[in-house]
Amino acid sequence: MYDLRIVVEEVRGFCDLPMQPGDYLEVKGGRIHIPAGKFFCLWALQSLMPMIPAKQRHIVEENDWLPHTDRMICPDPNGLVVFRFEQTPAGHLPPQSPSVPGQESSSQSSSSGPPEDSTRGVARQTQVPADRTFPPAAAPSSVPAGGKEQRPASSSTGQAGETGKASAKPSPDIPPRLLVNTAVCSGCRSCELACSFAHEESFDPTVARIQVKKDEPAGLDFPVACRQCGVASCVNACPEGALSRHPVTRAVRLDVSRCTGCLLCMKACPFEAIRPHPRTNLPLICDLCGGEPACVARCATGALRFGKAGENPPIGYRALTLKRFPG
Amino acid sequence: MYGYAGRILRINLTRKTWETEPLSENLIRNYLGGRGFNIRRLFDEAPAGRDGLSPSNPLIIGVGPLNGTLFPGAARFNVSAISPQTGILGDSNAGGFFGPELKLAGFDQVIIEGQAEVPLYLLIQDGSVQFRPAEHLWGLDVWQTDAALHRELGDPRVQVLVAGPAAEKGVKFAGLFANLVRAAARTGMGTVLAAKRVKAIAVRGTLPVRVADPNTFRRLLAEYDRRIINHPEYETRVRLGTTKLVSALNTLGALSTYHYQSGRFAAVDQVSGEALEQRHKKKAKGCFSCTIPCSRFFEIKKGPQAGLKSEGPEFEGLAGFTSKLGNADLATGLKAVDLCNRLGLDLMSTAEVLGFAMEAHQRGMISREEADGLDLTWGNGSTILTLIQKIARREGLGDLLADGVKAAAQRLGRGSESIAMHIKGLEFFMAEPRGIKGYALGLAVASRGGDHLRSEPSFEFSNDAAEGLRRFGAAESAFRLEYRGKGRLVKHFEELSALADALNACKNTIVNMEILSFADTAQLLEATTGFSLSAEEIQQATERIVNLERLFIAQRGITRADDILPARFLKEPLPQDSGPSAGSVVELEPMLDEYYEARGWDRETGLPTPEKLAVLGLL
Repeated sequence: MYDLRIVVEEVRGFCDLPMQPGDYLEVKGGRIHIPAGKFFCLWALQSLMPMIPAKQRHIVEENDWLPHTDRMICPDPNGLVVFRFEQTPAGHLPPQSPSVPGQESSSQSSSSGPPEDSTRGVARQTQVPADRTFPPAAAPSSVPAGGKEQRPASSSTGQAGETGKASAKPSPDIPPRLLVNTAVCSGCRSCELACSFAHEESFDPTVARIQVKKDEPAGLDFPVACRQCGVASCVNACPEGALSRHPVTRAVRLDVSRCTGCLLCMKACPFEAIRPHPRTNLPLICDLCGGEPACVARCATGALRFGKAGENPPIGYRALTLKRFPG
Repeated sequence: MYGYAGRILRINLTRKTWETEPLSENLIRNYLGGRGFNIRRLFDEAPAGRDGLSPSNPLIIGVGPLNGTLFPGAARFNVSAISPQTGILGDSNAGGFFGPELKLAGFDQVIIEGQAEVPLYLLIQDGSVQFRPAEHLWGLDVWQTDAALHRELGDPRVQVLVAGPAAEKGVKFAGLFANLVRAAARTGMGTVLAAKRVKAIAVRGTLPVRVADPNTFRRLLAEYDRRIINHPEYETRVRLGTTKLVSALNTLGALSTYHYQSGRFAAVDQVSGEALEQRHKKKAKGCFSCTIPCSRFFEIKKGPQAGLKSEGPEFEGLAGFTSKLGNADLATGLKAVDLCNRLGLDLMSTAEVLGFAMEAHQRGMISREEADGLDLTWGNGSTILTLIQKIARREGLGDLLADGVKAAAQRLGRGSESIAMHIKGLEFFMAEPRGIKGYALGLAVASRGGDHLRSEPSFEFSNDAAEGLRRFGAAESAFRLEYRGKGRLVKHFEELSALADALNACKNTIVNMEILSFADTAQLLEATTGFSLSAEEIQQATERIVNLERLFIAQRGITRADDILPARFLKEPLPQDSGPSAGSVVELEPMLDEYYEARGWDRETGLPTPEKLAVLGLL
């Protein structure tokens, strides 16, 4: 468990309370402490609340977005107050710290992405800071075919001594995976076609490893893609050892010679990202196309990208697609 | 088969039977797909005469060789029959997801014959058909029906094509709607389906579509994507879609305003595509497999229409219920579009009959009592919304308007025929024909009546004299207010439009952005289908489609005399408040002469000559 300090890093809009850079609160166990004589915005706090218990916990799933998310923005679209979460192993926060938080990492905040990123609400979780304060997960390792995936051995206190400071530790080397931004997905389902064409040389959404769920009256589109979990339930669920990780891309692979089509992997997937092939009944497993996902290449909106959680998404269709289809 | 599903489905509602037949190579080589397949079938199988509501009038749904593949925008389908509104060719086209699903379900074309005894809906699933009861759906609006069918069938991936309550009531311009708002709205195809007592067609397909040469296909796709994305219009289209036209046409003085009484709307900034984007747009939406998501989802958060959210609208709906009716309130315009979608009305025809009623009021041709007490002053929002509902229910003034503007003027009399804006009985677009003369010619000769989508000669906006001379033998063809060269211009763009409709791909890319030449198509079709056709053969196939449609309407009495615009566009110069288009009229006759000559049609009758038909193999 961690104690937290939540610091106002930047006010991009106008806050009329006002909250000012450097204002903060601390969370120790079940208690919230606000420095004597200071205050904290009620509305910002109620938005931050769900994040607090989550950030108090050590999360070993390397592809989870929570460990990579260190900033939240207040819900007032005119305010745009940026709050930064700082984690310290429980019991290590001094009783009252009179320092001026936010200073030590001001260089990082100034580089925290173009303003479109926050105002669009595209990704309220910003990019991985260079001086992340949570213990890095174990470096990815290939798991031999048939092996079970292990949680990282390092305990939550492994790097505890270094947390809370600008330790300049490099981010863990997580291979890129499919990242989805439902807010800009146009629902065109090109990803399904590109996937089936890449894998089966036919246009057949039923065999696509990615599927767009749609709510037409509400105008919502949800591409459901494999997240290549750090600890993959599908790999662990397979009784035949047919699922393994690619040594380079870390993508889950299916050995069809071992697979019996029992679909325990499908039942184990917490994201409903595995479906059976309609004709062979074998599970449809996203292999990231060996590192160049066809679905991403055909996504016109940038709703799908191939990257690392917390990375800044590219802005704009044209820039994105031009890069993809050079003259 | 590659590209094509290879099978045609024939459904007989009277006997509740269905059968399939193979798709013939002859049909493929001569008509390519979609609209081409449909006109061949309709020409061969439709009963003589003009009765669109006859049980023997077949309703035909066609898709093309690219549907179901990743070709950008190959998401469309055509619905064809004798039109109950015009008595000539009924043919309507929509995007979304229904067309590709039909291909994935194993069919290139569905022919629906006869009339059911009791209301039913059809479920087409992987090569088979079920006739399912629809009494419980009768009377439901389009959105309710869509929701009910998805609940009933328990599969969110079923694509549903629905006739709304307006179609059930026999409104002559009721359309067919897929994905809630994707309307094959024109020429009353919903009216035809409802007359057959079919409420909806649900389609689910899980059969793969294969292409003959995957590697070439893949390479060509990347090339087309590049052309689309590098096109100067790309960003505007993704932002605004066709709604960009409201302010663009207003600038040119070519926006239908107060029912074609001006080319400019003073309040355009309140109702433009840009205003819609800034106030209400939530995100871009796209049809199946598209690289250029030009549709938009919007939500109104404040005001009397708060809570209204939907995909759309396009230019026609936006301008039709704002500038055309003198309405400066964007939210009312959006609500009007939403009502048309839910009730199953063609919003282009609806906007026209409303404009007609308001102008009749302006000119004292209709009394307040005849208008059921409604205040028909320009821009009256509550009148607009009330009247749309009355049309769908065929109630009072709504009943007068529900057969289309031509019939309404005939019933009302008092000289109102002069303000009924239609061609061959079909209402037309929300641009001002006097400001875009190539489009004006296109409207006059279009095979389904007043329709810009049969040609869309957008080249006339280019102002590129050298290209005009090179491509169409007249520098003037590149200038919208000139009339020379427009005959050849329209001929070419009619064939490009026929190509887009035969492939059932999008005209934004094929016709407006011109990403696919006939030579490109030859290459693409060979990679897709394995059939080798030359560029000339493909051009000729599109010409054949246009000619056969002309024969079809000629059989129903159409001649050159019907290729006419309402007199206002020919005789009354656009008023001075119409900016750069002020003072303009349409020089139709010389354009028609040039057009018939380019077509190889008789200049007196406007009909295809035997020589031309012989060349096309239509004799």
